[in-house]
Amino acid sequence: MNKVKGVIIPAKTGIRKTIIDFLEKAMEKGVFDAVIIPMKLPAGDSFAYVLVEDKYLLKNAIPLPPTMFVQGAKAISSVTRLGEGKMKIAAIMRPCEIRAAIELAKLGQINLENMTLISIDCPGVLPTSDFLSNPEKNMKLFDDAAKNLDDKIMRPVCQICDKSSMVSGDIHIGTLGAKKDTVFIISNSKKGEDIADKLGISLKDNIDSWQDKVKSISEEKQKKRKKAHKDLKVKVGGLDNLVEAFSHCINCHNCMRVCPVCFCRLCYFDSDKVKHRSDDYLQKAEVKGGMRFLPDTALFQMGRMMHMSLSCVSCGACEDACSMSIPVAQIFSMIADETQGLFDYISGRSLDEPIPLIAYKEEELEEMEDAND
Amino acid sequence: MERKIGVYICECGPNIAEKIDIDKVIDALLPIEDVTVVEKFKLLCSAEGKKYLEEQIKKQDLTHLVIAACSPTEHEKTFMEVCENSDLNPYLFQLANIREQCAWITEDKDEATKKAIRLVKAAIGRVRYHSSLEKKEIESNPDVLVIGGGIAGIEASLQLASSDRKVYLVEKNSSLGGLVTNFEKTFLGMKSASDVINRKINDINTNENIKIFTNSEVEEAIGFFGNFEVKIKRTDNENGSVEFDVGAIVLATGSTLFNPDKTPRYGYGKLDNVLTSLEFEKMNLSGKITLKNGKAPKSVAIIHCVGRDEKGYCSEICCMYSLKFARYLVDKIPNIKVTNFYSDLCIPGKTYQKFYDETKGNNVEFIRSFDVEIIKKDNQLNIRYKDENKVKKSLFADMVVLSPAIEPAIDASKVAEITGISQGEEGFFAEEHEKINPISTSTEGIYIVGCAQGPKNISDSVVQSQAAAGKILSSLVPGRKIEPEVKTSQISESFCIGCKTCISVCSYGAITFDEAKKISVVNEVICRGCGNCVAACPSGAASLKHSKFNQIYQEILEAVK
Amino acid sequence: MKGKNQNTDVLVIGAGIAGIEASLMLSKADRKVHLVEKTSYTGGNTIKFEEVFSNMECSTCMVAPRQQELLQDKNINLLTLTDVKEIKGSSGDFTVKIIKKARYVDMNNCIGCNACFEPCPVSLKNEFEEGLSDRKAIYVPCAGALPNVPMIDTDNCLRFKDKKCTACQEACMFEAIDYDQKDEKIELNVGAILVATGYNLFDSKKLNNYCYGKIDDVYTSMEFERLYASNGPTEGNIVLKNGKAPKSVAIIHCVGRDEKGYCSSVCCMYSLKFNHYLKSKIPEVKISEFYTDLCIPGKSHQKFYEKMKETKVNMIRASDIKVVKKDKDIAVEYRNEAGKKSMNSVDMVILAPAVEPKDDASKLAKALGINLDEYGFFKEENTDVSSVISSKTGIFIAGCAQGAKNIQDSVSQASAVVGKILSMSN
Repeated sequence: MNKVKGVIIPAKTGIRKTIIDFLEKAMEKGVFDAVIIPMKLPAGDSFAYVLVEDKYLLKNAIPLPPTMFVQGAKAISSVTRLGEGKMKIAAIMRPCEIRAAIELAKLGQINLENMTLISIDCPGVLPTSDFLSNPEKNMKLFDDAAKNLDDKIMRPVCQICDKSSMVSGDIHIGTLGAKKDTVFIISNSKKGEDIADKLGISLKDNIDSWQDKVKSISEEKQKKRKKAHKDLKVKVGGLDNLVEAFSHCINCHNCMRVCPVCFCRLCYFDSDKVKHRSDDYLQKAEVKGGMRFLPDTALFQMGRMMHMSLSCVSCGACEDACSMSIPVAQIFSMIADETQGLFDYISGRSLDEPIPLIAYKEEELEEMEDAND
Repeated sequence: MERKIGVYICECGPNIAEKIDIDKVIDALLPIEDVTVVEKFKLLCSAEGKKYLEEQIKKQDLTHLVIAACSPTEHEKTFMEVCENSDLNPYLFQLANIREQCAWITEDKDEATKKAIRLVKAAIGRVRYHSSLEKKEIESNPDVLVIGGGIAGIEASLQLASSDRKVYLVEKNSSLGGLVTNFEKTFLGMKSASDVINRKINDINTNENIKIFTNSEVEEAIGFFGNFEVKIKRTDNENGSVEFDVGAIVLATGSTLFNPDKTPRYGYGKLDNVLTSLEFEKMNLSGKITLKNGKAPKSVAIIHCVGRDEKGYCSEICCMYSLKFARYLVDKIPNIKVTNFYSDLCIPGKTYQKFYDETKGNNVEFIRSFDVEIIKKDNQLNIRYKDENKVKKSLFADMVVLSPAIEPAIDASKVAEITGISQGEEGFFAEEHEKINPISTSTEGIYIVGCAQGPKNISDSVVQSQAAAGKILSSLVPGRKIEPEVKTSQISESFCIGCKTCISVCSYGAITFDEAKKISVVNEVICRGCGNCVAACPSGAASLKHSKFNQIYQEILEAVK
Repeated sequence: MKGKNQNTDVLVIGAGIAGIEASLMLSKADRKVHLVEKTSYTGGNTIKFEEVFSNMECSTCMVAPRQQELLQDKNINLLTLTDVKEIKGSSGDFTVKIIKKARYVDMNNCIGCNACFEPCPVSLKNEFEEGLSDRKAIYVPCAGALPNVPMIDTDNCLRFKDKKCTACQEACMFEAIDYDQKDEKIELNVGAILVATGYNLFDSKKLNNYCYGKIDDVYTSMEFERLYASNGPTEGNIVLKNGKAPKSVAIIHCVGRDEKGYCSSVCCMYSLKFNHYLKSKIPEVKISEFYTDLCIPGKSHQKFYEKMKETKVNMIRASDIKVVKKDKDIAVEYRNEAGKKSMNSVDMVILAPAVEPKDDASKLAKALGINLDEYGFFKEENTDVSSVISSKTGIFIAGCAQGAKNIQDSVSQASAVVGKILSMSN
């Protein structure tokens, strides 16, 4: 793990303006050629990640938007899918989005060579439908909630997120535990240190107050998380409960499409392999008495879980997108904790850690071997 | 084209006929639309049976063949040949095992018959989705690259050259011979080592089939069995690289000794007159065994198993060469006292016990000891140890010789990376199979011999070199084409998303990454059709010929209907 | 050894793991191989083991694909129940006289259905099973033996003792049983010969201090292998003579080592393997290994030893070992490392006897005109030149016929012989 170093910078103009200042300066000095940052779009009440080359446009940027229309990692994945470009880009995103980006980098979907990942302490994010019910009011509610560290209105998975300040990118902006009108700039990698260097920033300040605050919030959340998962396991554990939990699923595949870690060009569950001859459907109906259409919804859920669980970052994008209001993120996130736990793996923690799916070790999961011994 | 599937059921004597109601099976299969004919026959693998099948294929104009009989390991090859002889592609055939997997294990005839019907229907369901597959043939280069010019590399080169193969022998040092050039004698028979090695070096230098590159290293070795492209460069700052093609590569990079600096309790590097075995060999070869002060030692302690705990394996030859050292000393220095400190005596060869019995004597003592430590006491070397009963003891000696563990050569990892073969946990090159294939590696055409594969003595290194020569001479024949695996993996260009999961699970290095298209590509000549990539691919872009999703799915569907 | 008109065919004597390896490799090089095997089956001693060290792979699964390949190989002429009587000639041009004993079962017609066993009225001790179970006069040595064709033991078959019995022939549906088969005298012409006749275990009856053959539940390692084998006399159940599972087992190394004068190199490793055997069937069993020096060279063997130590086996360095019956148990008396007299009480003893050459090694050596060394193994010419060359040019030796060794080294030697043969004649 990298050594984390930080500096305290003044933030008299507010966190948002301070961050934008920082980025503008960096662009001026040529440290970055472009920045990917959320902005409020001129049309309607939506936000989107915008690749900004003209630094003056940064004035309108909102580093911590109240909703996550597009998961950040998904947004930046198209930029470097076919290899790095010549531009040096900085991406500002929430920790879970950064983590997803790192997972995608391990899978060859994002090239981080000329990309700097900047994260920020995250207060959570509103479910999109909630936000859209009254955008103006909810924007204010979100800002207040963020200031007061109150997560009641955030996504269910945000409410039990213990990694809301996890640092796995290059630079992190620490708002927690900072004295009034200051903010921490924390470097987590050589890239981060080089950038600080180029900007004339010396990373020698004591960041204990940030680390302590982060630790206490994380521990509290962990307790909530454990309990929530325990309760959820009872609710959806076992075949019958599981089938019931996904009984509303209509195979729209929205969850898969918005998931940053589901990166396949053609999902297995959209391919020929799940399209059968009518005789085969008839036979199945014969055997069981009847057959539900659209078929294989539970299969899709379990299959997707199996494919991406080790990389799941519990961002909650899937639940937001579910057209049938199934608590997908809560269920998948609970399972992800367990599968990743089997390998002592945390998705997106470090670029150097290979995903257990593709790392072969001779001695692992020995408790699964020799079931008959 | 209309499908015409022919199904033939073998009675196999009482084996199948008595346990399964074959007529019932035939009745169950006849109604299937694309099944043209269902017949039974006494013994399909017999000469008459094969003739009958060949006639039937032609007469019935069959497009696919299903046979219900014994296990594929018995006769799949036989019936595939029958197909070839009748101009039916041998992969448009499926063998249903109703003997080992049905008749032989099911008591009740009714149950066995029902199961047999399912098994044959499953085979029919599968064969519908079979595609014709063609055998491939590629040219091969019969020449060989040998990396390492020690005794193993020299032996392999000579053996291959005597069969008129062209051999390229690459040695990183300036002269050939490796470690053996440092020995005065070999412990098997106390024969002159220089006789052995010099004779071989002379043979190699005068052999026209062997091209020697000293002061050289292999920079690149890309390709596959029968077709490796090799690039060699000089290690002594001279310019120029050489390129050539070979069909096989032998890795004979040898070994080095564990550095006793890592085990400070032996005082190596700090105390005078504490030597490693190699340093002692060199001293002995130079003619005079002396202490730092120029005088001959009156007592020598030889410490076995140095670094054994750290490395985690027994290096096999040290007990024997320690005995050899005792002999050197006793023969050359009158009245010398030699003490061997060992933990377990490892002397497995048939003449080794005799050698030990004849070496042990008045002046040569063997002490089973633990926790050995060397310190300086009263200006002398003092060996402190615990004996068999855990009692602390000590002994003075003028000189201490350490027998360190044998490790792979320093650049073994580099060579492994260049040739793409794996190393075991201990760093030695990994053989294909510990018991029955210790010379081959998982890359076909690359062989490992001598101490590069694991610690061993000269005789066993020589045997392995000759074995590698045997493998190469029998499988890489001049003029003979190589037939790579037919049932290989394929990766769909449009569905591959370039996550490289397949590359990390391929044990044969058969998949490469196309940087331009950002997709993985299978080299069908190296691919062995194991299917790992197909199982691992998250997007289903990889599929295995002759084990396609539909083939297996339909087989299962019919089996469980 | 270059020259024209050299015969390129090869005679391989012994179809154990070394002989099989050499034959398959020679066939790949398009050489015609006459593989002569004294018994009725291929695989030698290796197929008697259930698992092999150090990866505990199933031994029969390891060898079976090779045996199958062997049986279907068109270049290999497998002659079972065959002995080599004499040879004449020299390298490149040997004339070999062999006697192919009659099997009395037609190898083409027989399909291995085993229907002929049941009706046979004669029951005898099965040698393959080390006498731990019975066989008939018409038999295959074990389930899965290859070639899967029975033979008739004429020393015990009633018909061959002038009694009218045709029980097996009547049961056969394929007309495979032929009482009129005769032993065949065959002459072969070959250019090179490989002796890969394997080994036997030292007869522990010769040593009084182990009470082998005198008291129950003292087994040799080979007998124990058959007890653990899933196709063996107890289907893999490790039981004492009284049918119960043992509670404590003593494994005694170096049996016969002093008498033979050499270390047999494989016994320490397989004795450790036996730990795994015992613990996997009887998790609570107490095991003590009595050894003198632990001989475990090889890059993966010490790791195996460490793993076995975790099963809490009691490793006892001992001397002056004596096995005696003591009431219901067996007492293993010994002198421990400190020299003190000690005793362990067990219910089963497994002996690891020395590895010796086969009984007829000297007869074969005489027939071939090659030398034996002082231990009775075939003598190699010069270990620095190659340990696989015998005292006669053109005749090679590999495997345990040359000296006690494990499977890996036997296979390497067999491959080395092929290397030498293929570079012999052009």
